[in-house]
Amino acid sequence: MQFKTADLSAAPVVLSIRQLSVGLSGETTKVLDAISLDVREGETACLVGESGSGKSVTSLAVMGLLQKGSLEVTGGEIVLDGNDLLRLTPSQMRRIRAQRIAMIFQEPMTALNPVMRVGEQIAEVLKTHTDMSAGDCKARVLEIMEQVHLPEVPRIYRSYPHQLSGGQRQRIMIAMALVLEPKLLIADEPTTALDVTTQAQILSLIAELQERHGTAVLFITHDMGVVAEVAHTVHVMQHGRIVEQAPVESLLRRPREDYTRTLLSSVPSLVPRHVRAESRQQEVLEVRGMRKVYGGNGWFLRRPGTLAARDIDFSVVRGRTLGIVGESGSGKSTVARCIMRLVDPTEGEVRVAGIEIARLSRRALRPHRKHFQVVFQDPFRSLNPRWTIAMSLTEGPLNYGMRYSESFARAEEMIELVGLPRDSLHRYPHQFSGGQRQRIAIARAIMMRPDVLVADEAVSALDVSVQAQVLKLLGDIQQKLGVAILFITHDLRVAAQICDDVIVMQHGAIVEQGPAAAVLSAPRHEYTQQLINAAPGRHWDFANFRELETA
Amino acid sequence: MLGYIIRRVLAVVPVMVIVALFVFLMLRLTPGDPAAILAGDSATPAQLDRIRENLGLNEPLHTQFIGWVTQMFRGDLGVSLISKTPVSTMIGQRIWPTLNIAVLTITLSVLIAIPMGVIAAWRHRSWVDYAVMTFSVLGFSVPVFVIGYVFIQIFAIELRWFPVQGYMAPSRDFVGFLQRAVLPAFTLATIYVALIARMTRASMLDVLGEDYVRTARAKGLRENVVLFRHALRNAAVPIMTIIGTGFALLIAGVVVTESVFNIPGVGRLTVDAILARDYPVIQAMILLTAGLYVLVNLVIDISYTLIDPRIRY
Repeated sequence: MQFKTADLSAAPVVLSIRQLSVGLSGETTKVLDAISLDVREGETACLVGESGSGKSVTSLAVMGLLQKGSLEVTGGEIVLDGNDLLRLTPSQMRRIRAQRIAMIFQEPMTALNPVMRVGEQIAEVLKTHTDMSAGDCKARVLEIMEQVHLPEVPRIYRSYPHQLSGGQRQRIMIAMALVLEPKLLIADEPTTALDVTTQAQILSLIAELQERHGTAVLFITHDMGVVAEVAHTVHVMQHGRIVEQAPVESLLRRPREDYTRTLLSSVPSLVPRHVRAESRQQEVLEVRGMRKVYGGNGWFLRRPGTLAARDIDFSVVRGRTLGIVGESGSGKSTVARCIMRLVDPTEGEVRVAGIEIARLSRRALRPHRKHFQVVFQDPFRSLNPRWTIAMSLTEGPLNYGMRYSESFARAEEMIELVGLPRDSLHRYPHQFSGGQRQRIAIARAIMMRPDVLVADEAVSALDVSVQAQVLKLLGDIQQKLGVAILFITHDLRVAAQICDDVIVMQHGAIVEQGPAAAVLSAPRHEYTQQLINAAPGRHWDFANFRELETA
Repeated sequence: MLGYIIRRVLAVVPVMVIVALFVFLMLRLTPGDPAAILAGDSATPAQLDRIRENLGLNEPLHTQFIGWVTQMFRGDLGVSLISKTPVSTMIGQRIWPTLNIAVLTITLSVLIAIPMGVIAAWRHRSWVDYAVMTFSVLGFSVPVFVIGYVFIQIFAIELRWFPVQGYMAPSRDFVGFLQRAVLPAFTLATIYVALIARMTRASMLDVLGEDYVRTARAKGLRENVVLFRHALRNAAVPIMTIIGTGFALLIAGVVVTESVFNIPGVGRLTVDAILARDYPVIQAMILLTAGLYVLVNLVIDISYTLIDPRIRY
């Protein structure tokens, strides 16, 4: 593993945060508690921590963009080039933004104005902060767009954000941030919403531009793999405090604090878990020759549809887990939706518990729906906020004619099975954390005693430590109930930890399939190899604080 | 884009056919003889026969309908039973005051309400916000005629800034038009300002929480640029909808204001026609109002695609 080791102690300090405290307005609760850190010219300082640790608040405080009326700085200083930013007037602060400090955000789709051409959004920065003529502005924008390696620059200049891919949008964000060559770039989870291969490209782009301009980078992430790739120094945050700061290599090899150790140990390993014995159980889900074409039947004109999945063949037996791995647009979610008949497959067979369901009418399908249940990605949106947990859990069985007392008893049993107390049933979703809500979503799914549990990116929205717990829970439930799990994920690390078998999808087709151990440690298809090579920190065994032996 | 507009315009046809059918059947399906209704109480059998002959009431229903639609298309909306003048002439005289006041009202409402809503959202939960919201509730709840009479009392009778009542065509004397139209327009605008300000505030509150607003601030843009260039356009779709429907409602629903300010508009024409059972006028007004609603909705739908490039049908 090649870490960044450059000695930057001689380089001038660009940003110095001293004893910065931020509190909720009108309350004594501290969101940030006296944090201090320096970022030097050419340095990448990583702020790592789980959600709620205060890393984004730190970055917004530096930008002077804390939400008015809810968060305010209560002490300390933020020094940039010798000026305390906290003492500047709003108009002085506006001049600092984009010129001295720029920021890129996590979600490039929502961070760009959807109704404005992207070229104009970059040009706006120049028009606000310089007195360049319109022609010079445009020339400079085209130049910076070239620098971030966007293709067909003149066409993209005129495009709206929704016409670009995620990677292109993030390149636009980077171009916008760097067009005035700021001294400090704050990158808040800049690759979290991107596919791994795109992530690798964006990370190397940031590194390239940093090297060219000597920019100081404050890089916020929750992903230890990314930290291992990009950081010079790492600041680990928890509950609004910095618990440990160290150069990247010593932090990963010799973490001093317990919290850092826990955090690192939770990172799922890319090495597939030990192989479970082949099961001779019956097949509970069998898919043959499935194909899905979206659209293509307009009222007036027949347009060619979009081929989202083709030649899909696989089967899952009771008690085993099959992973479907792929990047966005690979068709993995389409496959899941077809199996659950949330959409109708165009061709092919889907057998669940021996019954062919691909062609059943909605009405004829109803009695079979209980055989397959799903857990979705975002636990904040998949539970009805106005319903108690008991209502969410018992709804399914009640629909199948179970008596309320019986289904409530089962709800009590299931909520304990997922590790929550019985009285949770009388509470509402907002009273639970993300991890707890995902447990509730799992309890809801297993209420129906399904044969197949479909987990659609079920741990992707969770922090690593919570992720590890939920993965373990899924494993335990599988052992107790013998349910087959279809696990859809973009995350190879997660797939390596939970799947017995893996399917790799690209452009709607299966490119490789087999036992997880074989596919992930010795990939045969070029695309699988690409995916694994793009996984950040792939040579490092985080949980054991050393290089991966197999690497 | 052009394809969408053409498809959208074609979609107007079935709606108008259904409306026309309804209006046509209204007279034919009412209990009793349409000729008797049209002729009034003091008609002789000979007159009834002549009316039946004229209207083609002896022919099959679908022939009648086609004939009637053709007649409508030629601009022949029939003759008023009461004044015996062509309905098209009557509406032609009365539509302009209503339209002019409507345009003035909507312009005023938009100019006042949008900044109000934007500022209320920007200063969410401040005294400005509460003031705007209080005004909105009042604007909704006070009846139009009360506002009208209060305005007349204050601005026309006490302060003598404007005439009490009346109407002047802007083509004859624009200043005279404004003098007479300002009070009714403000009266009508109260409710629309309340409505549009509220909608603007709600829509802006959603948008101000969006990431691209944070991006705009991170670029070092001034607040007014952030609010009006970045946020408002993203918040515009629901606001446009309210403005459009508001305008359509203004044409058909200004009876009270027209009465209070003694304006010779279509609102009063309609009410008089209903009271007098002047069927040809009622039919024409239903057709006209429906057509106007459809047209306004068409314009709103097309405006969406101009506001937001993601909207393609």
